[in-house]
Amino acid sequence: MVEIGHFALVLAFALSLVQSLVPLFGARSGNERLMAVGGPVAVTGFGLTALSFLALASAYLQSDFSVVNVWENSHSLQPMLYKFTGTWGNHEGSMLLWVLILTFFGALVAAFGANLPATLRANVLAVQGWIGAAFFLFILTTSNPFTRLIPAPIEGRDLNPVLQDVGLAIHPPLLYLGYVGFSVCFSFAVAALIDGKIDAAWARWVRPWTLAAWVFLTGGIAMGSYWAYYELGWGGFWFWDPVENASFMPWLAGTALLHSAIVMEKRSALKIWTLLLAILTFSLSLLGTFLVRSGVLTSVHAFATDPSRGIFILCILTLFIGGSLALFALRAGSLTAGGIFQPISREGSLVLNNLFLTTAAATVLIGTLYPLLLEATTGDKISVGAPFFNLTFGALMVPVLLLIPFGPLLAWKRGDIFAAAQRLMVAFGGALLAVLVTVLFIDKAAVFTALGIGIAVWLVLGALTDLALKSGIGNVPLKTAISRFVGLPGSVFGTAIAHLGLGLTLLGIVSAVSFESERILTMHPGDTTEVAGRVVRFDGLHPFQGPNFTEDRGRFVLVGPDGKDKLEVISSKRFYPARRMPTTEAGIKTMGFSQLYVSLGDEQTDGAVVVRMWWKPLVTLIWLGGLVMMVGGTVSLTDRRLRVGAPARRSARPADKARPVTT
Amino acid sequence: MTRKRKRLSIIGVGAAFLIAATALTFYALGQKASYFFMPADLQTATLQPGQRIRLGGLVEKGSIVRGQGTQVSFGVTDHEKSVKVTYNGILPDLFREDQGVITEGSFGPDGVFIADSVLAKHDENYMPKEVAEGLKAKGVWQEN
Amino acid sequence: MVFWFIAALLTLAASLAVLMPLAGRSKNDSSGGAHDLEVYRDQLAELDRDAARGLIQPTDAEQARAEIARRIIRLGSDDKQQRIFTSSVSVARSLGVAAVLAVPLISWGLYSILGSPDIPSQPLRERLAQNPADSSVDELIARAEAHLAGNPQDGRGWDVLAPVYLRIGRYDQAVTAYRNAIRLQGSTADREAGLGEAITDAADGMVSAEAQQAFERALRLEKDQPKSRFYLATALVQDGKIQEAASAWEAMLASLPADSPWRSPTEAALAETQKRMTGAPVAKAAPGPSKQDMEAAASMSPEDRKAMIETMVAKLDEKLRQNPHDVEGWQRLLRSYLVLGKNDEAHAALKRGIEALGATTEDGKKFAEFAATLGLSATE
Repeated sequence: MVEIGHFALVLAFALSLVQSLVPLFGARSGNERLMAVGGPVAVTGFGLTALSFLALASAYLQSDFSVVNVWENSHSLQPMLYKFTGTWGNHEGSMLLWVLILTFFGALVAAFGANLPATLRANVLAVQGWIGAAFFLFILTTSNPFTRLIPAPIEGRDLNPVLQDVGLAIHPPLLYLGYVGFSVCFSFAVAALIDGKIDAAWARWVRPWTLAAWVFLTGGIAMGSYWAYYELGWGGFWFWDPVENASFMPWLAGTALLHSAIVMEKRSALKIWTLLLAILTFSLSLLGTFLVRSGVLTSVHAFATDPSRGIFILCILTLFIGGSLALFALRAGSLTAGGIFQPISREGSLVLNNLFLTTAAATVLIGTLYPLLLEATTGDKISVGAPFFNLTFGALMVPVLLLIPFGPLLAWKRGDIFAAAQRLMVAFGGALLAVLVTVLFIDKAAVFTALGIGIAVWLVLGALTDLALKSGIGNVPLKTAISRFVGLPGSVFGTAIAHLGLGLTLLGIVSAVSFESERILTMHPGDTTEVAGRVVRFDGLHPFQGPNFTEDRGRFVLVGPDGKDKLEVISSKRFYPARRMPTTEAGIKTMGFSQLYVSLGDEQTDGAVVVRMWWKPLVTLIWLGGLVMMVGGTVSLTDRRLRVGAPARRSARPADKARPVTT
Repeated sequence: MTRKRKRLSIIGVGAAFLIAATALTFYALGQKASYFFMPADLQTATLQPGQRIRLGGLVEKGSIVRGQGTQVSFGVTDHEKSVKVTYNGILPDLFREDQGVITEGSFGPDGVFIADSVLAKHDENYMPKEVAEGLKAKGVWQEN
Repeated sequence: MVFWFIAALLTLAASLAVLMPLAGRSKNDSSGGAHDLEVYRDQLAELDRDAARGLIQPTDAEQARAEIARRIIRLGSDDKQQRIFTSSVSVARSLGVAAVLAVPLISWGLYSILGSPDIPSQPLRERLAQNPADSSVDELIARAEAHLAGNPQDGRGWDVLAPVYLRIGRYDQAVTAYRNAIRLQGSTADREAGLGEAITDAADGMVSAEAQQAFERALRLEKDQPKSRFYLATALVQDGKIQEAASAWEAMLASLPADSPWRSPTEAALAETQKRMTGAPVAKAAPGPSKQDMEAAASMSPEDRKAMIETMVAKLDEKLRQNPHDVEGWQRLLRSYLVLGKNDEAHAALKRGIEALGATTEDGKKFAEFAATLGLSATE
């Protein structure tokens, strides 16, 4: 089974080579048979990659330590779930997951792309083939997960304990679905450049792909942030760490792409810019992969790194980014410019959004890469951390956040800013009220906090205002308004929900950062302490034996105002003997949207334990907001208008579509 | 305004914005970036009082002293020079003697480094890259 | 065999995926223009829908309609300008053939370099299910571990595994195993002493308070349990209570049966302690087994231990030849030879010592007296 997986992987590589050349040649020479090769090859390639992945996963599940990768990252006593997630909890396996998703998307294009113009489809599949071939080669030459070990050891070295966690089961697949999803947009962009023309179907195809990739990436980032929050035991949710930045840059660029694709679809404007953004977004994803894998940057959460891999990925990076940008420079001039619009209009607001988002992505990029650059040129070693990013990124985001509610209220081509402002008076009033309440009743000195909360409220109310206006609440009879509300297109709902989610996330961040209370102290069993008005008692440490670890569980009890025990919080220090590695399992109790967070430190000689405790008000909103954004993206995806118009041979369907349910 | 002038003014505004963003970025890089030092580097470096830096090295053997409550002090060494560091809080799981650490903070008036964050990565082989290179350059550490 | 069959099947499937479309009939696909037109038509329909729902102003809708119409018109003119490629059929055919051939060639070629087709999968369960006689010690342990992972309440399993862990040096796991065995099977002197030993070994030979408690529990259950007595005395040495340790060991020696395996380690340890006591001022420089050596000795097999002691004695002998005016050295040597059962050497050493020190000197007399206490006399 293992060797069949290995063989399937090699075979998939061979197919990816065919996929990268034959359809392209077919498209160039107008040969339909050659073009048609792309589809079946992409689907078969996906099947083989899936077989290969299953083979590795089954080796993990069966603890087949004759596979080096399994031996290094698994243990026979691990729970089944972590045996399985261990498949991608390491460099080699995660790269296999990466190409699995890549070929999956390629197969989707092949399967659902029947209504695309044949040359576009062939070119897209060919570009996907290039990416696939490069990464298959990377895996086979530098990171082969199927290398064998004879004689096989009897016990594995265990999966890195911090990765033995449910969060990890979900985080990388989501993140990769996002990263790799943008590869489809990239392929569409490069295919358009190869063809020298942008079909009308282009924008319609790119937008759903961007949306889907963006939804996954949002989920991946939110999940990663939550994982770091509870698993690292520092109570922080975002560290501006290079690895985090690596996923955040494509997100920023992808968000920009999402918005410019709307303009392109609706107004045929910003074509060239959208194309460039599609290329840049995927390039940033590749750059992220490079940064994480090569070890050129110090990060708190990175896989084991290997410089030779770094060089290989750097080559892939240069080839794809350099190649696509060169192609862009050559061909962009020949593309026709699109519609025109006034600065104050829906398009104008989206351009502004793009300007800020890409600039923000650029500052994050500079902050991430500047230490490398400086060290290479002067030898000085610096670290660029949260203070830098908070200043630059924050400064760039404030105007964007302020402008968001205006965007959806402006008309296409020519908008009326004053009318929009007038309609937003209620939201503005609500935001002002939030600011005043915060300053007057909570903290007189917290002006910035109050403004942050004000902006968050502004975003939430702005999104609701948009929905209310579009369904005509207040202007038309309630019954009509409700039926209009129900009939609103998915993309309108999606926009409002996503913007609302952003507001929630902002509210969570501002509240958790500004109003958190922290306690560091040593506690003996029976001691009580108080954090943010809540009394917590420490009941002592109790040993516990896990399947592949031992732990000391600290039992904490939240005592109610009546002196009775209300809630139990277990925080523990684990020890994984196979790797001789300790980990901290923070104890977290969610109350409403807020959390009590207890982290254990060292045990002292007299039996006392160092305890760090936080009360984090509204902290869960950070990730719930992310979830809401995902929902927004998904709702937008269901909008029937995102489906691509089919050519004449399926003429029955579009005619149906033209008759809306509401009429 | 003619269309051409309008377009020019838009480009002007955009350019001004980009220049402002670039200026802000580089201002922030100058102000907010912290330099990395090994203990021996500190002899030649000139630091402003209270300047934030990152100090990296190995945790000196036998130097970890747990003080009142949650106060901890330890030595960070590169086998040439050693710097006393104090920290208030929970040390990372993999904080051990003779292991690489990176601490961030500033020097107090008494020459003791007051750290507000201590990093040790969660990989048993972890040696922070800066520390590894510094130690290799001094010939006191080799990768096995 | 099965592998080659499946591999061939997969290769066939992959090649077919390339071959089928090439061999298939050329479909009459519509041109790009038709696709675009369809999209625009959809957009017009959408526009009507939005206008009907009142989402856009009628004037805006009119403008948008006009623009889409403009695009449709432009589309017609673009279509006429479309470049037409001429393709050479022979080139296309040879490319197709090359592609079909490339799939098996590349995959089999590359796999022959990278793969190891002759190594079967080795799921752990199957490996553990094979005949125990064929298994290595590690495999047997793994099997026991797998059993205990499923039945953590099996006290006997822990009881069997604990000393095995201890012997192969997996001390932390030995501690856990002993604890579990005690918890499930009850406390016995052997288990408690084993626990103490495991804790001690895990701490690189330091007898911690926890280990001492375990040994003390063992002694409560069995008064003369030698292992516990030995380690408790070691603990005394580590606390700096050399005198007490020496007397503990002496008492222990007195009560140990002659064939006890603990005899020689105890004697070695006692000799070492006495050496430290007598050589107190130069304790640091005193030659002889270090603490590590002692602990090494304690965990060695009896043969190894004996060999080690003999080397140490030989060293001492050599040293006394060069520096014979060391009465304590002679005393140690004499005692050591007796402990090792080398009576002849002991006699020789006694003679040499008295010669070297001088029979009439203070030291010489002291040495002779010491020998007498051990049952040796210089006049023999």
